[in-house]
Amino acid sequence: MENEKKIRKENVKAAVFRFAPLGGLILLFGIFMALAVIKDINIPYSFKNIVNQSVVVVVAATGAVFIYTLGSFDISLGASLCVSALIGAMAYNATKSLPVMLLTCVGVAVLISLTSSVLASVFNLPVFVTTIAMLSLLSALALVLIGANGTGDVIQVPAAAVRGINNVWFKLIILAVYLGMCVFLFDFMKLGRREKFQGGNPVCAKLTGLNGKRLAIAAFAIAGVGVGLGAFLTITYAPTLSRNTASSVGMDIIISIVFGGMPVSGGARSKIYSAVIGALSMTMLNQIMLALSLDSGVGQIVKAIIFLLVVSISMSNSKGNILPR
Amino acid sequence: MKMGKKITGTLVIPVITLIAAWIICSSQGVKLFETQLNLLTFIRTVANVSLVTFALAINLNSGRFDFSLGSVALLSSVISSKIVLALDWGPVAMLLLSLCFGVIFGLISGAVYVSVKLPPIIVSLAVALLYEGLSFTLTGGHGVSFANSARLLGFASIPNFLIIIVLALAFMIIVFDRTKFGYEYKALLSGQKVAVSTGIREVPNALLCYAIAGGLMGIQGFISATTNGTIQMSLNFGSISPMFMAFLPMFIGGFIGRYSNDKLGYLLGAVTSAFISLLYVRLNVSSSVQQITSALLLVGFLIYLNNEGKLKGLFVRGGGKG
Repeated sequence: MENEKKIRKENVKAAVFRFAPLGGLILLFGIFMALAVIKDINIPYSFKNIVNQSVVVVVAATGAVFIYTLGSFDISLGASLCVSALIGAMAYNATKSLPVMLLTCVGVAVLISLTSSVLASVFNLPVFVTTIAMLSLLSALALVLIGANGTGDVIQVPAAAVRGINNVWFKLIILAVYLGMCVFLFDFMKLGRREKFQGGNPVCAKLTGLNGKRLAIAAFAIAGVGVGLGAFLTITYAPTLSRNTASSVGMDIIISIVFGGMPVSGGARSKIYSAVIGALSMTMLNQIMLALSLDSGVGQIVKAIIFLLVVSISMSNSKGNILPR
Repeated sequence: MKMGKKITGTLVIPVITLIAAWIICSSQGVKLFETQLNLLTFIRTVANVSLVTFALAINLNSGRFDFSLGSVALLSSVISSKIVLALDWGPVAMLLLSLCFGVIFGLISGAVYVSVKLPPIIVSLAVALLYEGLSFTLTGGHGVSFANSARLLGFASIPNFLIIIVLALAFMIIVFDRTKFGYEYKALLSGQKVAVSTGIREVPNALLCYAIAGGLMGIQGFISATTNGTIQMSLNFGSISPMFMAFLPMFIGGFIGRYSNDKLGYLLGAVTSAFISLLYVRLNVSSSVQQITSALLLVGFLIYLNNEGKLKGLFVRGGGKG
């Protein structure tokens, strides 16, 4: 009897921790709605803003969950998105075809992702350091591309060309299709289970015959598709591209994934929905700061504290006796 | 290991880099060290890079990735410069204040880490956001400028940078190689669970690591500020970029550490990086080419480090056949 109570209590505690990120999102949504009513904010317009601001990060971060599940880390995703968008825009300007632009964005992003993973796999390099080098390479490549093909400091796609697809429904459809594909692969296919196993215990995974290198390449390829779609959506929202395009997306991806309750060590507790919850929460938080007219610095301080608080609650169930590394 | 091998292993990378830089410059009709300013640029780069490399290596070697290093440098230099400008103090006061604030902010960062017990990479993201936000708020987003303060700008001299480099190296060697803290740090580094089981107190050790790294970044922030005459604000992780210049020297330091002291290795790694930077400056290399070259050098060196055995095997087999 005593034991049953204890187990039930533990289960409730675990559920609270598990749903803390979702609870955080609901709480932020509640605060935003309350503020919207009090301050007479245009709610449909704000929701449109939330979708526009978060969709790129959600799409790119959802793919990145596959990389994080392996316990790996890619810091170059933002730079990859920038380069993919630049080359995609150049492809549009050359062909005047939106499907070609989409395919180019996705193709380039997948190619960049595969280069990182193959380089790391073939030469046994630490993935993280490889992606740091890629970050440098891609940032430089963005400068070269703009210098060679741009008008001044930018590469532009005519705004009229993307006006037809710069709407919330189109973005939500792309997000739904990609998210559906990722959920299917992650939760219902062998690939997802293997990735979690590999991330949770690489030694054991190797002993059971799993090919870690192949799994890493698959994870990076899926993440590449997300980055490519993110690049395409970036062009539709802001068709004038510069070296600063998506400059904060790389770190936003990390923040969103962690904010959404994903353990950075990967493994069995990885969740494909983390990126959606995290990115929406961060955008909602930004909207609340805007509604409160907070100074950018103060806004960032509040963001840091809330981030730490939510992540601390969602991960407090998995703390050991020694300091985590 | 024989002394000759030790000396060769220690000096081979910086010496080869210097010779290569010299040859490339000469082939373009340029002298690598032509003026006093070139030497100043070189020594300043060594000071900057070595401080960041020491700070990065302290925690990264222990598996603690720290994104907040740049923000510690930013915030400590902002506060120290504000105090110094308000009280009309000199550069030594600003240096000491930057060091103290760096230690305090590093310690706070470490305290958050040991309190919330989250992976250090996550804590460092939050701390970086927090310190960037604080710096932005303290300066109203305008940053700090002391372009008119000749006293502060006058600190940038070769002897001053050399003193900082020597003191930082001596401090690192004494603290990490000659004290109980250093021995415990190494024990935790090589076997965290076992070390903790044997009674080593991990929390104070981690706190001190963060405090030392913070102090080093405080000094780096001071050097950067007094060199540029301004402190620019960064938000949304804009402060993390200084960290990236330390990866190549850190890996070079790890390689040199096999033959001598790893701290000396980090310094020689910084010297190597400074030779490359000076080469870029002397040949007016564009920033995009600089970035590409540096990234390729990092990847190339890592490929060598991670495949050394295979490469040596190929070389030995090839030699046998030949």
